Amino acid sequence: MADTVEAAKAAKPLNGTDPKFPIPYLGRSVRIVGPVVNVDMNQSPHPKNQRGELGKALFNWYHNSVSKDPLTRVSAPNHFADRRNFIATVINQATTGKVNAKPVPVTDAAAMTRHIKAVARYMGADVVAIARAHPTFMYSGSRYVQDGTAEDAYEESTPEGLVRKFPSIIVATTAWDYDKLQAHRHYIGDAAYHVSQIRGHMILKALEGYIKELGYAALRGVVTPQAAAVASGVGELGRNGLIINKTYGARIHMPDPILTDLPLVPDEPVDIGVEDFCKVCRKCAVNCPTNSITFGDKVAFNGVEKYKINWLTCYKLRPYVHDQWTSCLTCATVCPFTKPNVWWRSLAVWALHTCPIPARPLLVRALKAIDDRFWGVVSQKRVRWLDYDTGIKPGERACTVAGCTAAHEGDGQSAMVVGDIGYYVPLKENTNRFVKRDG
Amino acid sequence: MAFRLGQLGIPWRRKNSRDDDPYWAFFINTPPADVANSVPELIRSAPEGNIFPTKAELHTPEITSSYVKEMARYLGADLVGIARLNSKDEQFPFAVVCAARADYDPRTSPGVGGQVPVQNGLFTTFVLSAWIRELGFRATATPHARAEQLAAAAGLGTLDADGRLVTRELGTRVHVANVILTDLPLAPDG
Repeated sequence: MADTVEAAKAAKPLNGTDPKFPIPYLGRSVRIVGPVVNVDMNQSPHPKNQRGELGKALFNWYHNSVSKDPLTRVSAPNHFADRRNFIATVINQATTGKVNAKPVPVTDAAAMTRHIKAVARYMGADVVAIARAHPTFMYSGSRYVQDGTAEDAYEESTPEGLVRKFPSIIVATTAWDYDKLQAHRHYIGDAAYHVSQIRGHMILKALEGYIKELGYAALRGVVTPQAAAVASGVGELGRNGLIINKTYGARIHMPDPILTDLPLVPDEPVDIGVEDFCKVCRKCAVNCPTNSITFGDKVAFNGVEKYKINWLTCYKLRPYVHDQWTSCLTCATVCPFTKPNVWWRSLAVWALHTCPIPARPLLVRALKAIDDRFWGVVSQKRVRWLDYDTGIKPGERACTVAGCTAAHEGDGQSAMVVGDIGYYVPLKENTNRFVKRDG
Repeated sequence: MAFRLGQLGIPWRRKNSRDDDPYWAFFINTPPADVANSVPELIRSAPEGNIFPTKAELHTPEITSSYVKEMARYLGADLVGIARLNSKDEQFPFAVVCAARADYDPRTSPGVGGQVPVQNGLFTTFVLSAWIRELGFRATATPHARAEQLAAAAGLGTLDADGRLVTRELGTRVHVANVILTDLPLAPDG
């Protein structure tokens, strides 16, 4: 990606240096330290792979592989047998509606902010927040929506022009189911991820339509979701490159936010101690099957100081495990912030939030020790859902019906599996030889 | 897992934020000026996909029914039941009926907000019928003329004098979504 960044730097003036747009405060986890080049989504992993730039194996995996799992075939962004059975195609490739010619007058921006948040929650969003737009958050190049298209009359605008016209970003998102997520690297975890993902697509499309019905513009495929999420206080950016939320931890989607000129009051970045936790924890880096997450410190990449993951090694694993799962989710599952939304979790996050910063490393070590004791250094929980069961070793067969007392003889069907251990491929010892840890 | 109590809170501090929301009535009651802005309309007009060529291995009809109901609830249905269709049509012997919670009656509130239960119901029935087709069986989600009678037959509730569904869990504040007609071997309720 370095060559394109250099080319873009030479081609156009840089963001983050314009006195009219002061550098935004993004919380303690991310800092803008230098000029930021707007990201061109045509250089991001999925479009690169769609053009075949990541090699034949990945290209075939993306375009020409049908999943064995019926639920994956209706809910995952590729690997379907028939595209028409996948609802996100229906939603994202639909024509966009017109903005209502008679806008609803907004006199009180705070009341409208409360209303939009209530609307998003009523439609089913789990997290919703408002960010003030900044030129560094915008994508360069054409609009980008996964599995779909987006276009509008402002495609030729510069990032600065867009921000001047559309000052607010609405970040609305859905959370994955905690219990199913425990089966990361399995079809059960895929279900938690993909079902909430298609639900999020529908909610955001409905919210976009509603803003247009109010008489204001709603632009899609323009804003980097992570930047908007950090700026709006949805969460902080962790070592695993995921937004870690106050309520759900890392188990939230980062779908395409809505850029709008609806008068709204922006939210502030939060401090829930992710910065202090990630300095110590490294649990995601230990568990990552491809060692794509750094054990080291933050780096400045494209003018942003953050932990940088190696997306290419992360991406390259996928064709090899296609028979077992589609979305890895390991770094999100093992993150100590990813817990059910219950009082003891809120207590821990509140303690981190209120603890003075110099004393935090001590508290983090204590919480990390508790997490390792009760959830394991390596997550191997057994999960059962419908006829899926992670206790069955990949390649073997066994009865999955709860409470079944049949004899199970013949027909290649083995007896019911007992025990609490789940099996998740690839096992860590099998991938160490592919990718070396970075020290 | 133990200790799965939810959040601690003070119940009398909770207040209904919709009372002082000046835009809520617009959200519920004003119909969209452009139907392209309406997600229910999008999903309704989408074509149906193919049936997967290989049938999935199934267990007994009772177990398959429990899987279908669990999947419907996971996709957002609040109530789900299965009815046997007693017509002579051999193509679709069963109907899966899903219902979504509706705080406002979708028949009298045409706004984007009033249609949210319809939107949720369409999402559930679209994905659930697509899933059954991917299992290798026929399934089609259709707006059924006798949806409420079928819902009553599927054990979701009973019909009142006006022919509307009354359920034990949600009373009359319920929207019966599209009916999924299928030949998946199921065990009917009720």
